[in-house]
Amino acid sequence: MTERSLAEIKKQNGTIHLSERAWGYLFAGPAFILVGLIALAPITAALWLSLRQQLPIFGIDAFVGFQNYLQLFEDDRFWAACRTTLYFTVLSVSAELLLGFGFALLLSRLSDGGGGGLRWAHVMIILPWAIPTVVSAQIWAWLYQPDYGLLNYLLYAAGITEGRIDWLGDPDWAIHAAVVMDVWKTTPFAALLLLAGLKTVPQELYAAARVDGAGTWEQFRRITLPLLMPVVLIVLVFRTMDAVRVFDAVFVLTGGGPGNSTETLSIYAYKTLFQTLQFGYGSALATAMFVLAALLSLLYVLLLRRHVQESA
Amino acid sequence: MIIGAFFLLWVSTTFGCTQAGEGTDRASTTVVFKHGKLSGDGRVLSDLLRDFERRHPGLLIREELLPADSDRQHQYYAMNLDGGKAPFDLLAIDTIWAQEFAKAGWIAPLDEVLTPTEREDFFPGPIEAATFQGRLYAVPWYVDAGVLYYRRDLLDRHGFEPPHTWPELARIAKLVLDGEQDSKLAGFVWQGKQYEGLMCVALEVLRSNGTDLWSGDRDRAEYGLRFLRETIATHGITPLSTSMADEESTRWIFGEGHALFMRNWPYAWSMLQQEGSPVRGKVGVIPLPAFPGFRSAPVLGGWMLAMPNNSTQQEIVRELISFLTSPDTQHRIAMELGYNPVRRALYTDESLLELRPLLKDLYPILLGAKPRPVTPYYLLVSQAVQPEVSAVVVGRRSPAEALGIIRRRVEQIMGEQTSPARLGRS
Amino acid sequence: MMMWFRTHGLTACVLLLVGLFCLGPVLWQAVTSLKPDQDLVRLPPLIPERVTGVHYDRVLLQSSLPRSLANSVVVAASATVTAIVVGSFCAFALARLPIAGKSVILGVALVTSMFPPIAVISPLYLLMRELGLRDTLVAVGLTHAVYSLPLAVWLLTSFFQQLPKELYQAARIDGCTPLQALLTIILPLARPGLAVAALLVFIYSWNEFMFALTLTASDTTRTAPVAVALFPGLYEIPWGDLAAASLVVTLPVAGLALAFQRHIIAGLTAGSVKG
Repeated sequence: MTERSLAEIKKQNGTIHLSERAWGYLFAGPAFILVGLIALAPITAALWLSLRQQLPIFGIDAFVGFQNYLQLFEDDRFWAACRTTLYFTVLSVSAELLLGFGFALLLSRLSDGGGGGLRWAHVMIILPWAIPTVVSAQIWAWLYQPDYGLLNYLLYAAGITEGRIDWLGDPDWAIHAAVVMDVWKTTPFAALLLLAGLKTVPQELYAAARVDGAGTWEQFRRITLPLLMPVVLIVLVFRTMDAVRVFDAVFVLTGGGPGNSTETLSIYAYKTLFQTLQFGYGSALATAMFVLAALLSLLYVLLLRRHVQESA
Repeated sequence: MIIGAFFLLWVSTTFGCTQAGEGTDRASTTVVFKHGKLSGDGRVLSDLLRDFERRHPGLLIREELLPADSDRQHQYYAMNLDGGKAPFDLLAIDTIWAQEFAKAGWIAPLDEVLTPTEREDFFPGPIEAATFQGRLYAVPWYVDAGVLYYRRDLLDRHGFEPPHTWPELARIAKLVLDGEQDSKLAGFVWQGKQYEGLMCVALEVLRSNGTDLWSGDRDRAEYGLRFLRETIATHGITPLSTSMADEESTRWIFGEGHALFMRNWPYAWSMLQQEGSPVRGKVGVIPLPAFPGFRSAPVLGGWMLAMPNNSTQQEIVRELISFLTSPDTQHRIAMELGYNPVRRALYTDESLLELRPLLKDLYPILLGAKPRPVTPYYLLVSQAVQPEVSAVVVGRRSPAEALGIIRRRVEQIMGEQTSPARLGRS
Repeated sequence: MMMWFRTHGLTACVLLLVGLFCLGPVLWQAVTSLKPDQDLVRLPPLIPERVTGVHYDRVLLQSSLPRSLANSVVVAASATVTAIVVGSFCAFALARLPIAGKSVILGVALVTSMFPPIAVISPLYLLMRELGLRDTLVAVGLTHAVYSLPLAVWLLTSFFQQLPKELYQAARIDGCTPLQALLTIILPLARPGLAVAALLVFIYSWNEFMFALTLTASDTTRTAPVAVALFPGLYEIPWGDLAAASLVVTLPVAGLALAFQRHIIAGLTAGSVKG
């Protein structure tokens, strides 16, 4: 559409003389105002705090510039928490993406075949995600309980394990137990988004591919995957952000233990902010967490940009 | 249409509620009492508050509950008290927060509520924990101390007396386990998860060896930490699962009859004695053991009442605190909620002892219970120490190594009281 | 049904496994919620020998959970409506209207949702307190709406972009304003996307704990997850009550997912206009 034809439209309308651009700002305005007030203002406050040293029990409240950030570099506990967070994020997000893809493909095949139980299948898959995190962490704590938990009982009854596995008390198991819980809880998010994306793939493309003699795998690789790239990007970005910031799930399960083996950045930041009351340093930790999430997201965008542009 | 309906719903319910709430506020003086959820029937406390209201016409006390989880409570209080505009007039604090809150200038001194002579009626531990620079900043509300539960029937069957020392406990546990040949039976369960409960256990063990975590004789401290690890690793009397155990998981094991000894707080007693409990009538409670030559050293727990510095209702709040810690109220709370009262005289009260006979055994224990280190920096210290002790429990660090880190770290924290520039470092 | 199973044997097996993975923990929670207190930590038997409704009785009749569920419905519904309405306008502007700095806007949206809530909670709480919104449902609803807005905008932008450009241009040539075009042409076609985004926002709001815990203080405003967190005492954890409460809290969302599912499918069949 050319500029001229747009101008003509405006004339025809007569009553409203807003340019397309003005409409755009009008539409985007409310979102700006809300986000600016409720989200950006507190974030700015947190960033400002990270440049201060605020220790109420020492009666200190002073501007220190980037001192808190410099301190991060010397803080071993921070680096350990970084490693734990990255490990958790990489494991859980990749598992969620793969499983989510599996679930989405399964569900979309089901809807092709019909069947009355389809809707229930959807609900079933969404269910874990519909359970509040604080509650599902408790469900899993109950399952993982080494003496009375279902998991050890079933493994033992099936003859898979000899003795009891101490899922949360063994530093080698604990972080993985948290990953499994997170995967169980949030795979539905990935599955639902990917399913919605699958639905937008025109069936004609598959038909055409079949005419060309492409197999199922070939169709998936050539059609489904490229067209789904924007959705995959969204899933990756949002899941990574959540995984980097994971708090309630791990905090309820292990509290960061044993021996700090499950202490993620957010747990360290939480303890620093609200247990030891180092408001400035805690905010710097949180900002570092944000930078980590941002870097990972940037990485995804750079890696996947080519695919996204191709399909757009 | 639907959207419009939702907005109407939203606007009407939310604004409707707010206005209604404010309307009742204006009608009288309101005191907001913020506290963690209490065990047992919440109506007991509500009834008490209604009683107080009746004596003060025009007064309204609003209870605002927080989850019992003390981390969340600490978070809430820190956020609200810092800045001095706390939207509550009375709060219940953990014994370990009193110094910190007082040092930060968040809570007001309450010397008038409790005269020095009246403080004599209270247990000494909580009063020590609530006194900062010679002034009383909180009034103890109820107390707790670590105790040792044991299975009387099992000890009887194997001809043992309850142990007084830790080595004795380990020896008896091993012999009973050998004799019972029950793969499900554990010798000694305690709280080994990385949290505040582990601090209590560690302090109890070390202090009962005449030392402490970050001061006192280093060899004996190392020995104490090693003992904790060895209950799991070499004695085999403590299940591996103890490294994630909190109070409840140990109570389940013990309550199911699957443990001989348990370190826990007195709360577990009434649950173990409940109708249908497999160990009903088979359980005894004694002071925690000590190492030979030293005295049992239970750690003090419990909650206190405090008043934010900015409260506009100071007079009435002081009176309310006075009321909630009065002998009558303490008696009622002990009778109906099963909390251990802070006033010593109640431990000889016949009506109370009849309903709660355990109080008689608890009295000497509570009397000797020592608070965790009384310093405003306790939480800083605790957060630095917990991971190290936890690492010892799971065998990731040797006691010597962990103790070295703990002492270095604590010295750093205490030493930097004047220039706390690098508190975040570990 | 039999026919279906015969033709989809493999799918059925996979579905069964998936179902076990997804539902297993929930089912176990259901079993736990029916056990009497004394049997809670007894295993075996897998299937309880005695069942009791006492936990549900406590949760539904003797606690403030029902009130909190109502609060949660109001909060989640208003957060969803706000986020979807505000979000779809913004997303449409980003997808089809010539405004400046689109990538910057999307970036800022991401930044807001990337910042850890634990660092934001303090300033946000102080802000709400200054605005006089402490302990109101408005504060919680608004917070949930805003913190899920970035996700809604991202999702909806991507859905709007997938609709053929020509649809919008044709509507404009026919004399529609952008507002009319959005409301009458674009939104109906984007129904599956709207349904997915709405479901995501609703569930986020329903589950959110930290903001809700901090911004609410009394029975009249407490949301369901916060009410559940009030069940444990200082030391004792009533597992049976907790199990019952968690099922009660989950049920409404399961129902909602079922209802939305219909919309997602309906939207797909109705809006099958392909470019």
